Amino acid sequence: MSASDHDGHGHDDHGHGDDHGHGHAGQSRFIQHHYDDAKHQFDSGKFGIWLFLAQEVLFFSALFVAYVLYRVHHPEIYSYAHKWLDVKYGAINTAVLIFSSLTAAWAVRAAQLGQKKLLIACLATTIVCACTFLGIKYIEYHHKWKEQILFGKFFDPCVSPGGEELITRKNKCEGTKSTVQFDEAAGKPTAGCFEISKLDLDPDRVGIQADCQVSEVKISKGADGKEVEGASRPITNRCKDELVELLEKTESGGKVGHVATHETPKPAEEAQGQQFPCWRPSFQPFVCLDATDADKRLHGQGSKPTAGILVEYGDELERHDVKINATCKERPVTPPPSDVHADKTNTPEEGVKAVQPLHELTTHEEHELEALGPPPEHTGMFLTIYFAMTGLHGVHVLVGILVFIWLLFRAIRGDFTSDYFGPVDFSALYWHIVDLIWIFLFPLLYLIH
Amino acid sequence: MATEESIPESLKTLPQAPVSEPDFLHITKGWKSWAFTLDHKRIGMMYLFGILFSLLLGGSFALLLRTELWAPGKTIVGPDTYNQFFTLHGAVMVFLVIIPGIPAALGNIIMPIQLGAPDVAFPRLNLASFYLWCSGALLLVLTIPFGGLDTGWTLYTPYSLETKTAVMVATSGVFLLGFSSIFTGLNFLVTIHKFRPQGMGWFQLPLNIWAIYGTAIMQVLATPVLGITVLLLTVERFAHIGIFDPTMGGDPVLFQHFFWFYSHPAVYIMIIPGMGVISELISVYARKPIFGYRFVAYSSLSLALLSFLVWGHHMFVSGQSRLANMVFSALTFTVGIPSAIKVFNWVATLYKGDIRLKTGMIYGLSFLLLFTIGGLTGLFLGILSVDVHLHDTYFVVAHFHYVMMGSTLVAFLGALHHWWPKFTGRMYNEAVGQLCGLGVFVGFNITFLPQFVMGARGMPRRYWDYDPQYQIFHQISTIGAYILGFSIFISVVSLIASFKYGKKAARNPWGGSSLEWSAPTPPTLYNFEKPPVVHELYNYDDLVEVAPDRWERLSDAPELQDAKKEAH
Repeated sequence: MSASDHDGHGHDDHGHGDDHGHGHAGQSRFIQHHYDDAKHQFDSGKFGIWLFLAQEVLFFSALFVAYVLYRVHHPEIYSYAHKWLDVKYGAINTAVLIFSSLTAAWAVRAAQLGQKKLLIACLATTIVCACTFLGIKYIEYHHKWKEQILFGKFFDPCVSPGGEELITRKNKCEGTKSTVQFDEAAGKPTAGCFEISKLDLDPDRVGIQADCQVSEVKISKGADGKEVEGASRPITNRCKDELVELLEKTESGGKVGHVATHETPKPAEEAQGQQFPCWRPSFQPFVCLDATDADKRLHGQGSKPTAGILVEYGDELERHDVKINATCKERPVTPPPSDVHADKTNTPEEGVKAVQPLHELTTHEEHELEALGPPPEHTGMFLTIYFAMTGLHGVHVLVGILVFIWLLFRAIRGDFTSDYFGPVDFSALYWHIVDLIWIFLFPLLYLIH
Repeated sequence: MATEESIPESLKTLPQAPVSEPDFLHITKGWKSWAFTLDHKRIGMMYLFGILFSLLLGGSFALLLRTELWAPGKTIVGPDTYNQFFTLHGAVMVFLVIIPGIPAALGNIIMPIQLGAPDVAFPRLNLASFYLWCSGALLLVLTIPFGGLDTGWTLYTPYSLETKTAVMVATSGVFLLGFSSIFTGLNFLVTIHKFRPQGMGWFQLPLNIWAIYGTAIMQVLATPVLGITVLLLTVERFAHIGIFDPTMGGDPVLFQHFFWFYSHPAVYIMIIPGMGVISELISVYARKPIFGYRFVAYSSLSLALLSFLVWGHHMFVSGQSRLANMVFSALTFTVGIPSAIKVFNWVATLYKGDIRLKTGMIYGLSFLLLFTIGGLTGLFLGILSVDVHLHDTYFVVAHFHYVMMGSTLVAFLGALHHWWPKFTGRMYNEAVGQLCGLGVFVGFNITFLPQFVMGARGMPRRYWDYDPQYQIFHQISTIGAYILGFSIFISVVSLIASFKYGKKAARNPWGGSSLEWSAPTPPTLYNFEKPPVVHELYNYDDLVEVAPDRWERLSDAPELQDAKKEAH
C-alpha cells in the first residue's frame, strides 16, 4: 500500500498527448510517467502479476475439481487408465521444469544486479528447458494419438489383457507368463504367474463362451432380433498388427493371430498358434475368437471352451438387450465333452495349470488385476481430464516460451537495469506458477496407485 | 449551508477557475487518438457507447419477445425464433451491458478521478480489455448470421452440446468478454491499492470505489471459472471430449456448478457497483453524509465474499443432494444481511435530508424501491419448498429483473446522468431526464409486477406459448415494456443531444464532495491540474450553490466565506 509515499503527480515533465511516454529524469526510460517513480511502477506491476496468478489458479481450479469429482465417482477408471501414462516421461518433465524455475529465478537476480551475460544465459536456459518440456509432451501425445488413447469420442485403443507390459515388467513374471488368471470357481481374477496361454476371458464381459467350434456368430439387438448396426465394423489393421506383434514376442508365438468379426467367422481350426482376445471399449460389439488349444479341447482334453466370443457392451442396459447366437460346428463324436464344473473339482489334467493364487491379494494387486480386464465404462474420461489439464498447461508453457523470448530480446538490447527489471520478475513469477501447476499434475495423473 | 438568497449577486457570475490545459476530449484529434488512446476516460467513453449500443440491441430483443407474447400461439414469430430472441436478449444484456456497464464504462471514467489518480495502473491493459470486449461483443452478435443461439444465456448442457445453433461462436465471445472483465478488475484493484494520493486512506474512499473494489475482487476470482467452463464447452463442441456429455460419462450438472460458481458472483458483479453508485447519489442529493459509512463499505466486501458461497441455490431442482440444498439455502439467506444493511443505511441517509429530486436522485429513489422488491422476492426463492413451486416460472424472471434491471440498470442510468456533465462538460435537459426517470420506474413496474403474479400461478419461463388465463398479465407486461423501452431510449437520446444543445457544465454541478468534482469539467488528460486535496468525505457544509447547477467550495473562495458569514 503506497498511499503514504504516493503524493500527487508531477505533471510538468510530460507534454500533451496521452502516450504515457517516459519522462522521469534520472530513471530508466521505461518508467511510465503516471507512476511516481521506479518503485511505484514495480510495486504496481508486482501486485498486478500476483492478482493475475490468483486468476490463473482459479482458471485451472475447475479442471482440478472435475478431476476430483470423476475420481471419487469412478476410481476404477483412474486406476485402470493411468497405465497409459509413462512415469518416466512425466518425471523427466518435472525435473526439467523445476530446473527451469531455478534459472528463471536466477534470471531475476541477474537482472537486479545488472549482470547482463548471466541474465541472457539464464533466460536462454529457461527457454531451452521449456522447449524440452514441450518436446517430451509431444512424444507422449504422439504415442497416444497413434494408439487412439484419446479423449471422449476418440477414445478407441486396442487393449490386450496381460499386455506386454504386464507380462514382462510388473510382478516380475517371466517370458510368456502373466500375472492373472480368471478363477471361474471363485468368480474373480487371481494373482500369480501363469502361462499366458491360459489367460482367459472374464465371463462377465463375454457374451458367450461356446463349448464348441464356432462357425457363425450373429449378434442381434432388441425384441425383434434386429442385427446390431455397426457390429460388422471391421477390426482395424492397427489392432491386428498389435496382436501379431504381441504374439511374436511370446515364446511360442511367431504365428499370426487370428481375429475376426462376426461376419467372417473363421473356423477355429484355421487359426494357428495363440489367440488373444482383443477388448475394445467402443460401442460397437465385435468378436474375437479364442481358439486356444482348440484341438485339445475339442477332444475333451481341456477344461476350457473352444471359442470365446467377446462382446463389449456400450452400457448395462445393452447387456440385456443384445443377444449373441453362435452356431456350432458339429461336434466330433468321441469323446464326449466333460462338464466344466466337474472339471474344476478334479485334479487338472496335464497341460493345464491349476488356478492357485500365490498369496492373498493386496489392495494394490486388486487394482492391478482390475486394470487387466477390459477398460471400465467411460475410461475415456480419464484421457479427457488428462488432455484438458496437460493441454491447458502446455498452452501456458507455450505462452511462457514466447514471453521469455521477448525478455531475451530485451535483455540482449540491454533494457534491464537494477532500476528496471520488473518484466523479468513478473515473467519469472508466471513461470513459477506454470511449474507449480505441473508439480500438482504429475502425481495426480502419472502416479496413481 | 448557504441558501440561494444569501449569495450576493456578484458571486453568481463569479468566473470559474480557469483551466490551463485542454480537456481530455479536445487534447488530440482524429480517430487514431481515440482508437489507440491510453486515457482511462476515453477508453471509458468508448466502452460507454459500445454498451449503449448493446443496450439498444438487447432492448430490441426484449421488445420483440414481449410482442410475441402478446397473445398465445404465434403473434409475430415462431417458437425457434422466439428461443433465439430470449437467448440473445439475455446474453447481450448480461455479458455486454450489465456486467461491464458500471465498472468498465463509468468506473473507468470516474473511478480514477474519484480516487485522485492520474490514470489506472495499467493503461495499455485497459485498452486491451476494451478491445477484448469489442471482439467478444462482435462474436456474440455474429451468432445471429451464424445460425443464432437458442440455449438461453445459461448455455446449459447437454442441450448446448446438441443444438445446431452457433454455440461455439457465442462461447468464444463469452470467453473473450470474461478476460476483458478479469483484466479490468485486476487493473482497478491495483489502481485502488497503489494510486491513492496523500490523505486518501481506505476509509476516505468514496463508497463507489469500495463497491468497485468488491466488484473487482469477484471479477478476478470468479470470471476465470467461467473462462475455463466456456472453453471446455467450446472444446466439447468441436472435439467431443465428453466432459459434460453424459453419453461419454461426463456430467452435465458439473457444467451448472461451474457456470453458477461464476454466474452467481456475476450477479453481484452486476449489483454491487450499482449499490456504490446509489450510495453516492443518495448522499449528494440528500445533502447528508452517508449513514454508517463503514457498514456500507464492509457490506460491499461481505457481499463479494458471500457471493462465492451460494451458487447452489440455482440448482435446487438439478439433482443436488439434500444436504447441499439445505446448506446453500441457509447461506443464501445470509446474503440478505449485508443487502439490508445497505438499504437501511440509505434510508437513514435520506432521513431529514435536504432532498433534491434531480434526475440522478429519481433513479436513486427508484433503485431503493426496486431493489427492496427484488431482494425480498429473492428470499422466497431461497426457501427450498417454495423454490420447488416457483423455479423456472415468471416469478424468477421478475425477481432477477428487479435486481439486474430494476436495480443495476437503474443505477447505471442514474450514474450516467449524475456524471454525464463531468465527463462531457455538458448539462443534459433536466426535465426530459426527470420525466424519463419516472417513465423507467413506472414502465418497469408495469412490466414486471404482473410477472410475479403469473409466475406464482404457474406460468413457466422461456415458453413461447401459454394458456389463455395468463394473457392479461402478458399484455400488461408488454405494455410496460414499451413504456420502459421508450423512456430509456428518449433519455439516452436526450443525453446524446446534450453534446450539441446542452449548456456548459460547471466544475461541480451537483455539489458533490468527492474528488472528481474538484477536477476540471471535462477533466484534463491527467485529471487534475495540481495534486488533488482530499476533503472530508460526504461533508457538504463547505459547499454552496452559487448559481443553478454550480457549486463551489467556501474554503476555495474568500468571497464566499464572507457571504456565508452574512447569511448567518
